[in-house]
Amino acid sequence: MKRLFFPILALVLTASLQADLATPPATPAPAGDASDSAEAQARSAALQLAGAFSNDGYKLRDGYYFGDLDPKKSTVIEVNLFAGDEYWFCAAANDPARKIAVEVYDEEGKPVEQQYYSDGANAAAGVVAGASGKFLVKVSLVEGEKSQFCFVYAYK
Amino acid sequence: MRSGLQLIGAAMALSSFGTLGAKETKTSLTPQEIKGAIVLDEVALPTPGEFFAAINKLDRPNWSQLARKAGPLATTNRAQASLNLGTRVADGYIAVESQDGQQVKNVGKDIVELAKGLGVSQSILARGNSISDFAENNDWNALREELDATEGEVKHQMADQKDNELIALVTIGAWLRGVQAASTVVAANYQPESARLLRQPAIVEYLVEQIDGLPNRLKNDELVGKVRNGLIDIKAAVAPSTAPSAENVKSIQQTTSQLVDVISGPAASAK
Repeated sequence: MKRLFFPILALVLTASLQADLATPPATPAPAGDASDSAEAQARSAALQLAGAFSNDGYKLRDGYYFGDLDPKKSTVIEVNLFAGDEYWFCAAANDPARKIAVEVYDEEGKPVEQQYYSDGANAAAGVVAGASGKFLVKVSLVEGEKSQFCFVYAYK
Repeated sequence: MRSGLQLIGAAMALSSFGTLGAKETKTSLTPQEIKGAIVLDEVALPTPGEFFAAINKLDRPNWSQLARKAGPLATTNRAQASLNLGTRVADGYIAVESQDGQQVKNVGKDIVELAKGLGVSQSILARGNSISDFAENNDWNALREELDATEGEVKHQMADQKDNELIALVTIGAWLRGVQAASTVVAANYQPESARLLRQPAIVEYLVEQIDGLPNRLKNDELVGKVRNGLIDIKAAVAPSTAPSAENVKSIQQTTSQLVDVISGPAASAK
């Protein structure tokens, strides 16, 4: 991992989050059981966070992961990156999570140079892949109790 | 780092919402954490768009030369149709890279046609219309996301109709066509840095595992068997930890070209 990121991104992110936080989520939770609703809620929040990067040319991946976030056990998710591409990995957790963290590691589990964004139950980590291949993204519950979260990422 | 000072400024600008900054993590993952990592198709496998974005940073290939006309789409072989659908999704990304709106529309129509043949056309029709609209407006970024979403939609519908085994084949088709295009670019102007992008052993291994996990009737399909053998050949070509040699890049290009031809019919230039 070499260089990171772009000053304009901060302004873009600020403006986007201001706009997003001022209005309700565009995607309402679908009718269904509680699990569906929790998934829709977490996904909507994760997409809101990741969507903030799209103004800076990041393309949002359609795929996502939804799962449990346990205070005693972090969730590690495998991704495959291309050298030179820039990525933001975003996660959003539902109540009762109060603070989460997202961190990126190489395939041997060593931390890589990265940026972070943290806002309570929303967090993101940004990297420029220095090599192509497998990387691991760890999502941890820093404060709060067991909850559910959604993970998405954007690239450019 | 481009500028630490600028990042501090950025973090201050964001302070009312959260914190942004550089992070220095010192703790490594435990072996248990690495072993327990979740591998989910939708996030573990990159799109052709990610692949091509990396190539564009090293070289600016003439993507329009890589466009191709689809062969016959009608087939009673669902495995072939699924693989072919994947290749057409990758063709969509190639058309986006070459900023060829008409070719994007053609590919969109083919995706809908193939999806119909597989019985998953219901919401794909709307996706096809979106692809056409974005192509009309030259909205290339939106098209990249729409192609990704279309592939995802096809897979979700396959899962809904208990066709889970076909999902892996769509993924494999898209990956093969993406690698074929990328290896053609790299072979034309060999540089170790570009060749390194073709080295994706974890993905090849994952795809082979996906084929091995298919039901016997699909595993015994002649085309699926050819694809599996081709993936094994590609795995061997990217086995060393260094960048694939020029010879190995050619070998990857030949293998993927043969497979894409068998899946979709012999290539014809779109021009």
